[in-house]
Amino acid sequence: MSKKILVVEDEYALNESLRDFLNGEGYETHGVYDGAAALSAFATLEPDLVLLDVMIPNLNGIEVCAKIRETSGVPIIMLTALTDQEDVIRGLEAGADDYVKKPFEPAEFLARVKARLRPIPTLEGAAELSIGPLTIDVAGHEVRRDGQRISLTPLEFSLLQTLAEKPKQVFSREMLLEKVWGYQYKADTRLVNVHVQRLRSKIEDDPENPTIVVTERGVGYKAGQA
Amino acid sequence: MRLSNLFRATLRIFRRSIQARYVAASVVLSTVALVAVGGFLSYSIGAGLFETRLQQVLKDSTRAVAEVQSTFSAVSSTDESTLQSLLNSVIPSLESSTTSESRDVALLRSPGQSSPQILQSPISLNLDANLIPEDLRTSVRSTAGKLVYQSISLPTPTSSHPGIVVGATVEIPVVGTYELYLVYDLSSAQQTLDFVQNTLFFGGMILILLIGGVALFVSARLVAPIRTTAEVARQISQGALDRRVPTKGEDIVAQLANSFNTMAEGLQSQITNLSRLSQMQQRFVQDVSHELRTPLTTIKLSVAILEQRRDDLPKASARQLSTLSGQIERFEKLLVDLLEISRYDAGAVNAEFEITDINGLVGLAIMNIQPLADSRGSRILVDIPSGPVDGEVDARRFERVLRNLLSNAIEHGEGKPIEIRVAASAQAIAITVTDHGVGMTKAQADHVFDRFWRADPSRKRTTGGTGLGLAISIEDANIHGGSLKAYSKPNEGATFRLTIPRRQGMELGASPLPLGPKRAKKEDS
Repeated sequence: MSKKILVVEDEYALNESLRDFLNGEGYETHGVYDGAAALSAFATLEPDLVLLDVMIPNLNGIEVCAKIRETSGVPIIMLTALTDQEDVIRGLEAGADDYVKKPFEPAEFLARVKARLRPIPTLEGAAELSIGPLTIDVAGHEVRRDGQRISLTPLEFSLLQTLAEKPKQVFSREMLLEKVWGYQYKADTRLVNVHVQRLRSKIEDDPENPTIVVTERGVGYKAGQA
Repeated sequence: MRLSNLFRATLRIFRRSIQARYVAASVVLSTVALVAVGGFLSYSIGAGLFETRLQQVLKDSTRAVAEVQSTFSAVSSTDESTLQSLLNSVIPSLESSTTSESRDVALLRSPGQSSPQILQSPISLNLDANLIPEDLRTSVRSTAGKLVYQSISLPTPTSSHPGIVVGATVEIPVVGTYELYLVYDLSSAQQTLDFVQNTLFFGGMILILLIGGVALFVSARLVAPIRTTAEVARQISQGALDRRVPTKGEDIVAQLANSFNTMAEGLQSQITNLSRLSQMQQRFVQDVSHELRTPLTTIKLSVAILEQRRDDLPKASARQLSTLSGQIERFEKLLVDLLEISRYDAGAVNAEFEITDINGLVGLAIMNIQPLADSRGSRILVDIPSGPVDGEVDARRFERVLRNLLSNAIEHGEGKPIEIRVAASAQAIAITVTDHGVGMTKAQADHVFDRFWRADPSRKRTTGGTGLGLAISIEDANIHGGSLKAYSKPNEGATFRLTIPRRQGMELGASPLPLGPKRAKKEDS
């Protein structure tokens, strides 16, 4: 069964081109043109990925993103024409997994989409991992703390799993971008910063003083020693 | 040493303070005037006092001489002791008979008379006969019957007083000619003169102080508005554009303040206008950027969709698709460069400086340009210092300059090797990129940083450059506080040298690398 992608883009021609392009790559697509329609389409379609333009009428992309995140961890890629750094950060903080800047290379764009739809690769034989007080059920895509299930987006799960698999290793932001996001070359390391923050806010007792995902100054992140 | 320091400090005060100069000039000039006036007053008062006293003295003396003469003329006796006592009595009577001040008296026998001297020459107790100058006595003797006077100095135990000696001859029967000398002490007149002079001196001092004070006050009043204006000008230059000088009255100072305020008004509105225009420009650039990005994305996607179906297309259409794809890529590069240069024009570029290893950026730029170099068969030779070279740069822009320079060298290098060198001093970092291609004349090299400029318009761009690369590069160099210079000779190639300060805000001294062929010459010899 092909993956379903919801395309939220108010520019009709671009919306259509995006869908034609993705259809050509074998995806099933559905196009909507504003924020309100995006939310109702999301509820009925249950897409596997959302492409979300930032500048859309009736709720902007950032608001739509936050709304979707209230109920779902579905991968969201923001489309932005803004070079304004703050909007990128706000989009990521609202829960977007990744973003592409217009005008983007179709091949690059396709790689981003594929990376987000790819199942998370797991180490052979590791059925259950533990990091600090958390237990990670790799096969079941579940994270528990004291038996309590914590809801993470697939990206956050992948981030946590990557750190937990090699608890002694310090991961640089570039390494995490490659392993978790699938970037092959230098990309925006703020993606990592923002998502580590989001992850911490879900799993840490005190996100200000993290003990599970620890910052290694000047290097990157690693799993905290239990 | 200390004195010269003091002198220098004083000089500095004078150089800095118009008020100090004004006050000093007033004091010096009025001192000169007062000394002149005071000297004249003191002299004429002194002369007047002396003259008055002299007339009085001469009057007294005339009377005294006449009295003495008449006393002796009336004497009939020739008795020695009578004459002697009469002679002696002259002294106390003359000493006290004056109304004004005491005088000393001497009655001296003229020397060289034939009659034997039988009588003693009486003299006041306080008077030393030697005080009476010999030349006065001579002139008294030679002008018999007339008063002769001379100024002398009367010694006192501590100092001396001014005095006048008046002398005249007195004929005494039997005993012969005597000289009567009256010595007047002028110390009271001198005291009066001293008092007047002291008064003049102290009065003058007070006057000078007053003049200094007045000068200080007046100059302070005059300087105050200038000082205020200077202060306001300073504040305006530091960005407080709405500051104005308070104005009062209609005098020249108020005119200055008004003119200044008008000027500040004009400046403010100009600056506000310019910054508004700059904001509009920035806004426009952002809008253009946004508006162009979406259709460009759509076009690129459309091309990608066609690419997906390339195999279904007729041959000619497939070829056109390649052209379309290449031109869109070029269009996009041009758009990016145009936006970047208009950001620079609008002053809307915020560089993000970070201390970075320059060698690493050189490596990155070479890596990024390597495919182009390979396609043109240009080898890139690297000459960098062995250790890391840290510089405070905006890594993205710095790498872009290097990439642009390398791309330019490859385009004009005709496949010959391209050299990139890095050198650093404590203050600056220099990078040169040298090609050995067609080169340029001096006139051409002057235009090489112009936008869309081509050395030879008939030569077409082959490496897909936008014509803005070097124009952006020079802006990139400028925002680092650095410089970008070109040196070229026809058929010998060209060298571009980027020099940037090692840390932001450092003075950019001499570049650590030469621009021209000096280095090459050195290697030849």
